[in-house]
Amino acid sequence: MSDWMIELVDITKRYGNIVANDHVTLRIRRGELMTLLGPSGCGKTTALRCITGQNIPDEGRVFIDGKDVTDVPTHRRELGMVFQNFALFPHMTVFENVEFPLMIRRMDKSERAKLVRDALKLVRLEGYEKHYPRQLSGGQQQRVGLARALVYRPKVLLLDEPLSNLDAKLREEMRFEIKDLQQRLGITAVYVTHDQEEALALSDRVAVMNKGCVQQVGTPAEIYDHPATKFVADFIGLSDFIPAKVVAVEPERVVLDVQGERIAAPPSESVSPGLDVLLFIRPNDVRLRAAEGDRQPNEIAGVIAKSTYLGDKFDYRVDVHGVEVRVQTHGAERFDNGQAVYVYLPHERCRIILESLVCPVR
Amino acid sequence: MRTLRQYLQALLNAKKLLAYTFLLCFFLWVTTPFLMILLKSFGRNWFGKLWFPPEFTLDWYKWAITVTNVPEVLRNTLVIAGIAVTISTLIAIPTGWALGRRQIPGKEVIMSTILLPRMIPPIAYALGVAQIFYRLHLIDTHIGVAIAHVAICAPYAILVLSSTFEGLDERVLEAASVCGANNLRTFFHVTLPLVMPGILSSIIFTFTTSYNEFTLTLMTYGPKTITLPVRTYLAVGEGYWEVTSALSMILIIPSLFVLFMIQRQVQPEKLVGGFKGV
Amino acid sequence: MASFLKKHRYALISFVMLLPGLASFFGLFFYPMLVTVVRSFRPEGVTTAWTLRNYTDFLGQASTRQVILLTFFLAIACTLLSIVLSVPLTLLLRQKLAGHRLFRLTILVPITVPGLVGALGLLLFYGSRGWLNLLLMQGLHVVQEPVKINYTLTGLVIFYVWHYFSYTAVTTLSTLEGLDPAFEEAARVAGASPWQVLRHVVIPLIMPGILAGSVLTFMAAFGAFSIPLITGGSYRPLAVQIYKQIEVFTPARWEAASAMAVVMALLQLVFLTFYMRVLRRPTAS
Repeated sequence: MSDWMIELVDITKRYGNIVANDHVTLRIRRGELMTLLGPSGCGKTTALRCITGQNIPDEGRVFIDGKDVTDVPTHRRELGMVFQNFALFPHMTVFENVEFPLMIRRMDKSERAKLVRDALKLVRLEGYEKHYPRQLSGGQQQRVGLARALVYRPKVLLLDEPLSNLDAKLREEMRFEIKDLQQRLGITAVYVTHDQEEALALSDRVAVMNKGCVQQVGTPAEIYDHPATKFVADFIGLSDFIPAKVVAVEPERVVLDVQGERIAAPPSESVSPGLDVLLFIRPNDVRLRAAEGDRQPNEIAGVIAKSTYLGDKFDYRVDVHGVEVRVQTHGAERFDNGQAVYVYLPHERCRIILESLVCPVR
Repeated sequence: MRTLRQYLQALLNAKKLLAYTFLLCFFLWVTTPFLMILLKSFGRNWFGKLWFPPEFTLDWYKWAITVTNVPEVLRNTLVIAGIAVTISTLIAIPTGWALGRRQIPGKEVIMSTILLPRMIPPIAYALGVAQIFYRLHLIDTHIGVAIAHVAICAPYAILVLSSTFEGLDERVLEAASVCGANNLRTFFHVTLPLVMPGILSSIIFTFTTSYNEFTLTLMTYGPKTITLPVRTYLAVGEGYWEVTSALSMILIIPSLFVLFMIQRQVQPEKLVGGFKGV
Repeated sequence: MASFLKKHRYALISFVMLLPGLASFFGLFFYPMLVTVVRSFRPEGVTTAWTLRNYTDFLGQASTRQVILLTFFLAIACTLLSIVLSVPLTLLLRQKLAGHRLFRLTILVPITVPGLVGALGLLLFYGSRGWLNLLLMQGLHVVQEPVKINYTLTGLVIFYVWHYFSYTAVTTLSTLEGLDPAFEEAARVAGASPWQVLRHVVIPLIMPGILAGSVLTFMAAFGAFSIPLITGGSYRPLAVQIYKQIEVFTPARWEAASAMAVVMALLQLVFLTFYMRVLRRPTAS
């Protein structure tokens, strides 16, 4: 038995001239929740539809549970799916909706009733059996959707932006509920979303996609702390990108030239002296102090261009030799517009990113 | 201040009064003709300047039933309408599905082509239909008259059903297939129940159209296939207004039923509807 | 062959499903229409030769122009009066006054009941012993003798409006109900009087609906057959005139009737094309 529950191998899908999925390869482990994260049009839905079989890829193969299902129609793939607009059958009651997959499988009537009851209990909707979908709130409807997807214990649970039709508060609540359910059942789940916060909070692993490519696959922490591309860094959280040139590559560090000043960064693959790169750092990792005394290593001089009070923090735009660096501080110390400051870029928080890198995961 | 408010209120009421007068006049303008038919069909010796008939009788209905042979005429009408509705619906379900759910190049053109019969005066192609049916010996057969009605009913049914199919939520159908239902089972368990209201309203409309159809019937009927509208027309020609009125009252009953159905569940704009291209 | 089927499976299924609709179109409309057109070019009683005589005869008659004018006059008068009736009517119905459901249903009466029944009722109501004349003579005492309405041009226009205004009214009403009240509120806030709101905001916004509905009324009125057949008297618009060629003459003059039908269909198509051009102008939408 392979470790992978779902494998998309080198999938390419075109719509006319548009390449929706460009050699996408994704492997999802048994029992893990993987998020496909990206802006609209990034190809995450196309990839999901390759798993469900609503799309047949132009190139590449799809495996579920070790079996090649590329040419297997949707209804024989044994999947469970939750939809953004719930997609409940409006002419059926809650009970009938949840019963539908069992009815299709010609299961025994009493067996069905039991499984439906269990599924409704799982999503805490007991007592709503006779209601019609339109009589339920958005959150309740999505719970019915979950119950319908889970009732016959599919191998895989697919969730296509399941929370984006709900209001913010409910969204957060349902997020934990879904995570909890998935862990209790130990089911493999693929979760499609454009909401980075949701992805970070829910996932075992995240696959960030853009322009039909997988940009990076990793745990939420890896994705946040070690973004592989400028896009990933930018899409997840605030980022500073400072243009720099590689001066020296040493075993312990890489020395960069930022506007004539020297900055040291941790070692990075495939860099060589003379290469133009981006120095990436999160604004809340940068520190500021008034420009007094000698500058320490990895400190560069700048001038406060704009400051904004955000309640729990200050947001500064610092002009560093013509390059704008964004800094967020929680400290009590305030800096005024026009004040000269030293900007400290902690060595261990700096990352080197190649701007030319667009589709790293092939 | 208070007088001012009272004055304004009075003005408002005057406006309301005017509105109701207008609506009432409209209501009477539309409905009194039927009231007159009703009175005429029950009245005896209603001559001269009288508002109401002096005596009431059921004779005209008896006459209508015996002389103008209402039972057979009614049977003809219903049989023809039944066949026309069935054929139109059977045509419209696949065609409406294709137009509503499939990507078809030139869909707009196909749609307006199919609707063309509703934009050309029926008498123009009724002439052709009559000549073709003479050759095929379809004149004066129930099936023949019904097929002629399909020329008008089918575009209607296709229009209503294609917009019903188009309105189906793609995701609900996807959900069915993810749940394990193949195309056929999705169609019978999900698609069909969801488009049932559309099919029903299409049936109501095509039935009304066929039931009331006059032009095409007049060109294809014969002694064995006299329908109610044709019978009414002939009765008007014969000049017995009382009998004609009685006949009309019988003719009107299904229409009232249809009106009731429309009011219950169908949006009226669909009835006149759908010259979307226009 | 098999690979062709597989490659074009989607298109093939679509086509097969479209077939019934297309078949009914070609069999029951296109082919009969073709028969009509072909017949219109045949000499009377002959099925092989070609001639233009049916057209020259029909178009050459002095009465033809009157018939066409009458048909257009009835259709246009009916369309205009329907708009004049529908706009205030729907504006009132939109306010959901008590009993508005009944009035809404009333709008649908003329298009659900058989036209012949409606015509009969109208003949009774407007007749010399009908309630209208009784009201004028005995109720209001405005006239001594009954006013002749039946079988006059005025009467015919009234009957046409009664039968065909529903299309305009229903379409206007549904457009009006789909109108976002925010537009009117915005206009009111901006200082417009109710009349100005109606004139500058509501009417322009529902114009597309009014026009679309009036097209339906026009088409119905132009092709009207049963109504003028029994209520027209000596006024015979095109459709009736065509039918008379079949009914009155023995043997039936199929060729002449066909030529008239082709002219009628063309007139309607030309007018509709023109009308839709006007409709689609940006100002109208």
